[in-house]
Amino acid sequence: MSNNKDSLQVNIKQHKTVLHQPQRTLLESIEVHQIDVHFHCREGYCGACRTKLLSGKVEYPNFPLAYIDDDEILPCCCYPTTDIEIELA
Amino acid sequence: MKYTTFNQINNNPLTEPMFFGNPVNVARYDQQKHQIFEKLIEKQISFFWRPEEVDVSKDRVDFQKLSESEKHIFISNLKYQTLLDSIQGRSPNIAFLPIISIPELETWVETWSFFETIHSRSYTHILRNLFGDPSSIFNDIVENQEIKKRASDISKYYDDLIFATQLWQTLGEGSHTINGVTHIISMRELKKKLYLCMNSVNALEAIRFYVSFACTFAFAERELMEGNSKIIRLIARDENLHLTSTQHIINLWAKGKDDPEMAEIAEECKEEATQIFLNAVQQEKEWAAYLFQQGSMIGLNKEILCQYVEFIANHRMSAIGLGQPFDIKSNPLPWMNNYLNSDNVQVAPQESEISSYLVGQIDSEVNADDFGDFDL
Repeated sequence: MSNNKDSLQVNIKQHKTVLHQPQRTLLESIEVHQIDVHFHCREGYCGACRTKLLSGKVEYPNFPLAYIDDDEILPCCCYPTTDIEIELA
Repeated sequence: MKYTTFNQINNNPLTEPMFFGNPVNVARYDQQKHQIFEKLIEKQISFFWRPEEVDVSKDRVDFQKLSESEKHIFISNLKYQTLLDSIQGRSPNIAFLPIISIPELETWVETWSFFETIHSRSYTHILRNLFGDPSSIFNDIVENQEIKKRASDISKYYDDLIFATQLWQTLGEGSHTINGVTHIISMRELKKKLYLCMNSVNALEAIRFYVSFACTFAFAERELMEGNSKIIRLIARDENLHLTSTQHIINLWAKGKDDPEMAEIAEECKEEATQIFLNAVQQEKEWAAYLFQQGSMIGLNKEILCQYVEFIANHRMSAIGLGQPFDIKSNPLPWMNNYLNSDNVQVAPQESEISSYLVGQIDSEVNADDFGDFDL
């Protein structure tokens, strides 16, 4: 797991750039900054938090069940492995 | 093609399409054409719950405290949910199983339907607690015009596919005149009916429950009808998983990852699929109007509920490539997320109020007269 890298940047289009919090999911890292992301299950099976990944890479410790397109990620259960740029739905 | 319960052709299930290939023979899960369905089965089974595990006895007291308009809202929602799960407990089995061609999808549909029957049984559990005899509530489901209107819209796509499949299985492709009515059965038409039916089911799982869910959770926000709310949370968790499965099926088709003909049909029927979804949105808004016709409830009104339906519809339509037709951008009922979060769904017996678990163990109610024969 490379999710304990600190100082990875998460650039949220039309919001601001935040720092990814080590050991947290991407969703938790964004919520720390009081930015609303739609969510339901927080476990990767419902797809409510589906978000566009514009650049960078993320990884999933557990296979996510929800349907996502090739350029989409599930912030509730993914961890950035590089600096990333995303666009919230 | 005649259905057989054990297809003796030694076919390779990894090359079958999801639907309208060879009937399934060996129920094997060591290999999968579409791995996602096996994973959904595992997840769904891990969610297993029994309605009786949730103590709803306090709800009886709460119910008496509700205003007449609130009682109307609560009971009407239960009736509507009973209708939805009555349909969903049987229809995926009857409509889809005879035409499914891969074992993991066959078992997923059976698992999915089974969970809908748990939901149906939980409505009886809730209603039996509130009313000594819930017959009049159940009877009204087939009498109530508002509910019937929705029932026919949901069941017609299923019924259409089921009837066409029956003709195809008994008579094959061609033009068949039954009781003076001519039916043209072709594989293309069958697949179109399947596509529209799947879109109707997807819209059902995506939005049709959410007006009821919002009302239930609004009661729970006021610490009312909390047993009911616990059950609805478990149901909502399951429904989110069911929705994921129909989204996968629709997207596998659209992206040409299964039957190439279904990709063409998806393109051809996009307009109709959008209309199915928009009709469901409209009906849910009308349902909100019916619920609040006798007055609102604290924390919710018709307008905000309609906005919530649009918000949820945007998300769920975009998931199957139908865009975001509504202007609303932010969630009008943010507290809903807390009830739909699986971390907050209590499942461990020691955490939830399970009467069977507590019987003969500890009675936490102590009255002054319990000390009557107590000497020091």
